[in-house]
Amino acid sequence: MTKMRRRTFLKASAATAVLSAVPLYFNFNDYQKVASEAPINKIPTTCNGCASMCGLFAHIKNDRLWKIEGHPIHLKSRGRLCARGHGMASDLYGKGRVTGPMKRTGEESFEPISWEQAFKEIGEKTKEIVNTHGGNSVMWLEHGVRGKYYADQFLDVIGSSNYVTHYSTCFTSKTNAWQNMVGSSLNGDHENSKYMIFEGRNFAGGIIPHGMNQITKAKEKGAKIIVIDPRYSEIAKIADEWIPIRAGTDLAFRLGLAHVLITENLYDKVFVNKYVEGFDEFWNVNKKYTPEWAAEVSGISADKIREIARELAKNAPESFIEPGWHGLHSHYINSTQTAQMGIVLNALLGNFYKRGGLMPSASIALGSMELPAQFHPEKGPRIDGAGVEGEFLTVETGRGIAQRLPDAIEAGKLKALFVYHFNPLRNAPDPEYQKKIKNAELVVSIPVDWNETSIYAADYILPESYYLERTEAPMNVSGHISHDHPQISLRQQVVKPLYDTKPLLDIMRGISNEMGYSLYDYTVEDQIKAAVEPLGITPERLKQAGTIEFPATVKPGFPESNGKPSCGTFTGKIEFSIDLFRLDGKMGIPTWIPPMVMPNPDIKEEFRLIHGKCPWHSHGVTSNNPELMAITEQYNGTAMWLNTKRANDLGIKNGDTVIVESDIAKKTVKVRVTEFIHPEAVWIPAAYGGFSKKFTTSYNVGVNYNDFIPAMVEPHSGSTMSQEVIVTVRKVAN
Amino acid sequence: MARYGLLIDATKCTGCMACSIACSHHNQLSTKVDFNRLEFVEKGTYPNVKMEIVPLQCMHCDDPPCALVCPTQATYKRDDGLVLVDANKCIGCYYCIPACPYDARQVNEDRVPEKCRFCIEYLSVGEQPPCSSTCMNEVRLFGDLEDPDSELSKKLGTVSTYQLIPEKGTKPRIYYVKK
Ligand code: SF4
Ligand code: SF4
Ligand code: SF4
Repeated sequence: MTKMRRRTFLKASAATAVLSAVPLYFNFNDYQKVASEAPINKIPTTCNGCASMCGLFAHIKNDRLWKIEGHPIHLKSRGRLCARGHGMASDLYGKGRVTGPMKRTGEESFEPISWEQAFKEIGEKTKEIVNTHGGNSVMWLEHGVRGKYYADQFLDVIGSSNYVTHYSTCFTSKTNAWQNMVGSSLNGDHENSKYMIFEGRNFAGGIIPHGMNQITKAKEKGAKIIVIDPRYSEIAKIADEWIPIRAGTDLAFRLGLAHVLITENLYDKVFVNKYVEGFDEFWNVNKKYTPEWAAEVSGISADKIREIARELAKNAPESFIEPGWHGLHSHYINSTQTAQMGIVLNALLGNFYKRGGLMPSASIALGSMELPAQFHPEKGPRIDGAGVEGEFLTVETGRGIAQRLPDAIEAGKLKALFVYHFNPLRNAPDPEYQKKIKNAELVVSIPVDWNETSIYAADYILPESYYLERTEAPMNVSGHISHDHPQISLRQQVVKPLYDTKPLLDIMRGISNEMGYSLYDYTVEDQIKAAVEPLGITPERLKQAGTIEFPATVKPGFPESNGKPSCGTFTGKIEFSIDLFRLDGKMGIPTWIPPMVMPNPDIKEEFRLIHGKCPWHSHGVTSNNPELMAITEQYNGTAMWLNTKRANDLGIKNGDTVIVESDIAKKTVKVRVTEFIHPEAVWIPAAYGGFSKKFTTSYNVGVNYNDFIPAMVEPHSGSTMSQEVIVTVRKVAN
Repeated sequence: MARYGLLIDATKCTGCMACSIACSHHNQLSTKVDFNRLEFVEKGTYPNVKMEIVPLQCMHCDDPPCALVCPTQATYKRDDGLVLVDANKCIGCYYCIPACPYDARQVNEDRVPEKCRFCIEYLSVGEQPPCSSTCMNEVRLFGDLEDPDSELSKKLGTVSTYQLIPEKGTKPRIYYVKK
C-alpha cells in the first residue's frame, strides 16, 4: 500500500533481480511491491473452484498470477466470478500442495521419490494385480468426467469395468430419473421465466454466476421466485416467498401439487396427450394424495399447495420447478421419486422445450483423435454393484457407487484403486469407514493437494499440476443453465508449474508404459487440434479466445422425427414410469415413500441433520484457502443453525458450543440460533471438518455432515441418503 | 470534472462475498483487511422472516470527517470527489478511524488506516471496479454523477434511494436503492 516504499524498493533493485530472490511462497502483498509496475498479460483459461468451469482471464505479471476475472463470453461466467473462483486461483501459491511424487513410509508419513521410480513401482504392482486377480480388480475413482477420457483407455486395456465417480454422493437420483424418463437433461430457462420454484436448491450457494444473473434479471422483469427449503438459504434472500418444509417430505409436497393440477384441470392436456407416456398409471396410483394429505406430511398448508399449483399453471409454460442438483438428489431414500416428480410436474405444466420453461443446453460435436486399436480383454461385472443384477441393478453404471468401496476391498474384489481428484475420506460418508480404503493392495492418489485420502489411504501420491499450470482438451460449455448457442472453452496453462508435478496425461502414460502398454502416444496439443479443426478453428485461435461461441443450434419445440415425439426415450415421449425399476420389482412411477427416519417430536434433543453449500466454499476443495477461510471466520461460517424456539427449549444460546451426536459420531459444534430454519432440522455448511494435518488453514475447523452419516446406499440410484440421519443436540455441561 | 458515485441495490445481494475477495486480490490486501464488508440483519420470526444485507465500504463523503480530523492531510479529497489516503503523510495517529461513522477504515500491513479507493483506474476509463464487475447480481453500479448520460445518473433517476447515517452530515456518495 505504501507507494513510496514500493518505488524505492523497485529503484534499489531491478524487478527481475528481485523476483529471482523472492522465495517460492510469498504473499500477494510482497508480490505487489515487486511487480506493481510490470506489464500485465491476460490469458484466458477456465476456473476450477467448482465443477462449473467458468471461463476466466488470468492476469499475469512477471510470470506470476496476480488475480483473475470472469471471461465475458463464457456463458457460465459472462464476466463474473464467485468468491470460490477468486480464492481458488490464489491457492496456486497455497500451502497445502504436494510438491512431487510421494511414497508412503508409515502412518501419515511419506518420502519424496522420482517420477521414474513412482511409475516403475506403480506399473509393476498394478501389472501384478491384474495378472493375479484380473483387470476387474482395478478401479478408477474420480470426481467425474475430467479424467474419464484417459481412464477409459486404461480400464479398457486391462479389462476393468470399474469407472466410478463421486456423483452418488451428490446428485445421482436426479440424473437417473432424467435419463430414464426423458433420455436427456433440460435446464430451467431462468432468464425468460415468470415463475420459478427452487426446492431444496440453493442457486445462490452452489453458484453459476451467469445463472444467478439471469435469475435476478428475470426477477427485475417481474418473475416470481418461490423457495421451498427447511432453511432460509441465500437464494431465499431474493425470493418472493420462503416456504419452510419438513426435511424429507418434498415428495409429498410434489404429489400434492400434481393432485391440484390434475383434479382442477390445470394441466396442459394437449401436451400430456401428445408427449407423455404413463399418465394414467401415474394418476391411478397417486389419486389419493390430496393437498390435505400433503399438508399433513410436509407441514405446508393445503391452501398454500393449491395456491402454488394454480400460480404455476397460470404462468405455464413460462414457469417451472427448477430441476435442481445436489439439494434434493442424494439426501433421502425417496430422492429418486422426488426427482421423478420434478419431471412429472414440469410435464404437467407442458413446459418442456419452451422459452421460460425448460430448455436444453446447446452443444457441438468436437472432433476426436483416431487411436490405434488395442486388445480389450473381457470385463467382469462392476465391483461397486451398479447395474449388476441382484445388487444395484437400477443404478447408472456410468456413475457408480462411490461410498461403499471398503466393502469391495474387504470382499477381496477391489485390489488396486486409482483416485483422481476426489477425496472420499472427507467427502464420502463416515470417514472412519472410508479410512479402510487403505486396505486395498495398492492405492494411488492423483490430487493437487494433501487431502485426507492421500494422507490416510494412499500408498503413492502423484501430484497433478494445478489447473493454472496445465492445458486440457477443449470442452463443450454446458450444464445447469439453458442456452441456444454452443460454446467450447479451453483450460490452458497460464504459469509454469511451480513444483515437480505433471498433467494427468503424462501420469497415465508413465504408469501404462511401465505395464507394457503404449496407450497415450499423443499430446494434449494433438487432442486440441483433433477437437477443433473439424469446426474450422485453429488451436491458436481457441487459445487466444479461451471461449468461442457458435451460431444457435437450439430452438424451442419438442424434438420430433417423422412427426413423432423423439426425446431420447424408448417411446420418444416423457415416460412417467421407469421400466428398469419395474424389472427390479420396484414401482416404475413415483409414488409416496416416507423418509427413512424422522425425529421424534416428543424428544426435545432430536433433530434431522441437514447440510448445504455456503457461497464461498466448494465442499472441502476450497477450505484450505486462507482468503476464503478468512471470510468464514469473519461471518461465523462454520456454525450449526438451530431454530430459536428449539434452542430456548434446550437452554442453548447463540454462540454456545453444543454436542451433536448421531449413531456413529459425537462432535462439538458452535451454534447459530436463528429464526431461519425449520424447528425439526439443524443445518451445517458442507465445507468444513478438514482432518488433514497438512492443511494448515482448514485442519479441525468446523464439522462435516459426512462425519455423522453411515455409508448407506439409496436403493434406486445409489445415492448416499446424506440427510437420513437423526442427531441429538445437547448443551456442553459447564 | 467527473464526480464519482456509487449506487448499491442491496435488495439483490445474496451475500456471496465475491466482491470482497475480488477487491482484495486487485488491491493485494492481506486476509486481515477488507475494503468492503457485508452486514447481515435477520428480521421477523419463523416462518415470516427476511434477511437484509448491507454492503458497506468507504462512502467517499463530500464532507469527509476523516479528512477533517487528519492532522497531516494524509487523508484528502480530490477534485473528482475521491477521498484517498497518502500513506507517506500518515503518522499513524488513527484519528480518522473513529471519525468515520461508517467504520470504513482498515489498518493495513503497513499500519496505515486504508479503505476502499473507488478504484479510479477503472472509473476513469468508464469501467466498473472489480467488486462491481464480478458481482453476479449486479448489486453495485459506479459512475459519474456529473454526467447526465452515465448509466449511474440514468439509473438514479429511476429509483428512489437512501443514504446511511445522513444525520452526520457527511454527504456520502454511495446511494442505496430503497425497496
Ligand atoms: S458480489 Fe454482489 S451478491 Fe455477492 S456479496 Fe458482493 S454485492 Fe452481494
Ligand atoms: S466513509 Fe469514512 S473513511 Fe470514507 S470518506 Fe467518509 S468518513 Fe472518510
Ligand atoms: S472500488 Fe475498488 S477498492 Fe473499493 S471496494 Fe471496489 S474493488 Fe475494493
